[in-house]
Amino acid sequence: MMVFKRSPLFAALAAILLASTALASEPGDYVVEDGKVDPSTYEGYLVYTRACMACHGPDGLGSSFAPNLIQAAERLGWAEFAGTIAAGREIQPGQVMPSFADDPYVMGNIPKIFSYMLARGEGGLGRGRPQIIESMQEETEEAADAGEDGNEAAEE
Amino acid sequence: MLRETGYAVVAIGLMAATAVHANQNVLELQDNPEYWATQLGNYQGHRFSQLDQINRDNVQELRSVWQFSTGVLRGHEGGPLYVGDGRLYIHTPFPNKVFALDLEDEGRVIWSYEPVQDSRVIPVMCCDTVNRGLAYADGRLFLGQADNTLIALDAESGELLWEANNGDHTIGESNTMSPLVVHDKVIVGISGGEYGIRGHLSAYDVETGEMVWRGYSTGPDDEVLIDPETTLMLGEPVGEADLGVTTWPEGEWERGGGAPWGWITYDPELDLIYYGTGNPGTWNPDQRTVDGEPADNKWAITIFARDPNTGEAKWVFQKVPFDEWDYDGVNENQLIDIEFEGEERKALAVIDRTGFGLLMDRETGELLVAEKFAPETNWADSYDLETGRPVVNEEYSTFRQGVDVNTTNICPTAMGAKNMQPSAYSPNTGLIYAGINRICMNYEPYETEYIAGQPYVGATLTMMPAPSHNGSMEGRTGSFIAWDPVAGETVWEVDERFAVWSGALATAGDLAFYGTLEGHVKAVDLETGEELWRFKTPSGVIGNVNTFMHEGKQYVAVLSGVGGWAGIGLAAGLEDPEEGLGAVSVFGALGDYTKLGGVLTVFALPD
Repeated sequence: MMVFKRSPLFAALAAILLASTALASEPGDYVVEDGKVDPSTYEGYLVYTRACMACHGPDGLGSSFAPNLIQAAERLGWAEFAGTIAAGREIQPGQVMPSFADDPYVMGNIPKIFSYMLARGEGGLGRGRPQIIESMQEETEEAADAGEDGNEAAEE
Repeated sequence: MLRETGYAVVAIGLMAATAVHANQNVLELQDNPEYWATQLGNYQGHRFSQLDQINRDNVQELRSVWQFSTGVLRGHEGGPLYVGDGRLYIHTPFPNKVFALDLEDEGRVIWSYEPVQDSRVIPVMCCDTVNRGLAYADGRLFLGQADNTLIALDAESGELLWEANNGDHTIGESNTMSPLVVHDKVIVGISGGEYGIRGHLSAYDVETGEMVWRGYSTGPDDEVLIDPETTLMLGEPVGEADLGVTTWPEGEWERGGGAPWGWITYDPELDLIYYGTGNPGTWNPDQRTVDGEPADNKWAITIFARDPNTGEAKWVFQKVPFDEWDYDGVNENQLIDIEFEGEERKALAVIDRTGFGLLMDRETGELLVAEKFAPETNWADSYDLETGRPVVNEEYSTFRQGVDVNTTNICPTAMGAKNMQPSAYSPNTGLIYAGINRICMNYEPYETEYIAGQPYVGATLTMMPAPSHNGSMEGRTGSFIAWDPVAGETVWEVDERFAVWSGALATAGDLAFYGTLEGHVKAVDLETGEELWRFKTPSGVIGNVNTFMHEGKQYVAVLSGVGGWAGIGLAAGLEDPEEGLGAVSVFGALGDYTKLGGVLTVFALPD
């Protein structure tokens, strides 16, 4: 169960997330075994790479344009991590995190992005496209169906 | 009162005069070897200087005479202009400050200008808030702001003379490019190919800022400014009408990209401007097919030769029909006069994003040479010179491999074997000097939906260093090369740890200059590529090295300040493909070498 303590924005966010993550476990849950991951965390890698990498760099590591998201996820915790993606943030003039509130693909997959980030950090998952743990493979089909449609910030 | 009226009359007279001579002024300035009056050094895009005070024999003595911090952290592209008035004119990334610096007083600020812009444009600037610099003509400076406002400033005072709105950031349009002044018009394109915009190039009146013409990159002929009876393609009339509509699935041309965000060059004799257009909208080729089959998606990734007075297209050449790799066709078209198969030709040379060095006839648009300058290039084996089409390698066709399939080890990467960093051409050697990228990619298309103002990409890509070849530096992601555009051969090559994302300079002092992402400015022997001098600036160089002479002294100046797509892609380093997934060892994390921060460094020889 997810708990939201803050603003109405978070209540709205919670509704979206609850609706879209019926199949998933708790935000931030992940399994890493021998460099392989559960299907939901794998999906998190895909969503990150489509929607976040263009600014935050490959594998969550940050870039010259935007900070390391692995550290940010650990520092912010679930609620603030999800809230920042939904609401955006102007850090200083010239440094702006856009709001993804209008992007249903990203909004529906924030828990998976969060799981992938935690897997990369405390979970010790390495760089690159992870493989799915064979015994959890069956779940992949459903995850793929849920995640087909989407957008991505990207490069010139 | 009488006096004021008198001034007004004089002012009107001056305005009328400058309208006629605007182009003449740029021509005169660029013909003076002491000046650096346009971003590419001259209309032809040569980035070559006749100055030889700094040369092969004394470059070891070159030293920094002063530095100036711009106070802006983002990637600093473009470079300083010098037009003989004792000042350097520079610009910054968003918020697009402009400075006039006193060359005789260690860069004291004579005036500065900072526009007020909506910071919501920043998130639609896909690859950093870069800007490629100012244009100058007749006492005016022209700047394309990030938020699509084109402005004219009085160079003497920094006063704003006019502003014009060239686009709408709420639908994903933004500006990164440097305008070019031709005749009485200032010409500028647009960015936003990753947001489903419809690319355009527009001309504004230098006096008033009123739009004179706009040529779109996609859509019906009357909006692309093509006449199928007279506009040429490979030397023959285009023939068929409205290819900018019919080579797309229903309505897709309206979000068909083709953003011209690179450089414009100009031939004063033929009175033609040349530029290239970017990728065709979504990166998922499957969404750009007609009846399930590849469609050309015209006129994305196309070289346009246009009449600067009317915008009419004289000829077109689509470098990559039906793009499957994001190979934006915006790289600069260098206008060079060469001998080809025993004949003098007015030619156009491109060190292209695709890894191919192209040579064309710039009067007719015929393709003369297409050879790989980056030997790892594998998306196409060659070009058919008759049809002008690349011979695509199925193995690396992201369309043939399919949606949701990760096509691996495609070379070059979407960044291109060369990106925006402008090359130099020496008429003395007949060679082009270019900083290039040695990076390959995996590319996985997926279905995406267009939402105005949101990214419209539809492909996931990851990058890795290009395979090394005989004697090349292990894991390198860049090189600086000397390219023979007629023979289609690399003459020499110097490897760099990182992609070379800086504009090159060639001089009559037998030197070539370029910057590295670690922050070095280097001078190499034009004949051999041997390094003769280097200086470490405070941050990575993605700006262009420029040179000029003031009061008998030759200077070299460059903006450092890492960023751009290079900074985003390389900060954390690329994985070694040999190490396999999840590898710990990483090649060249740029973040281990340099951090953000814009600085202008000016060099000269000791007195």
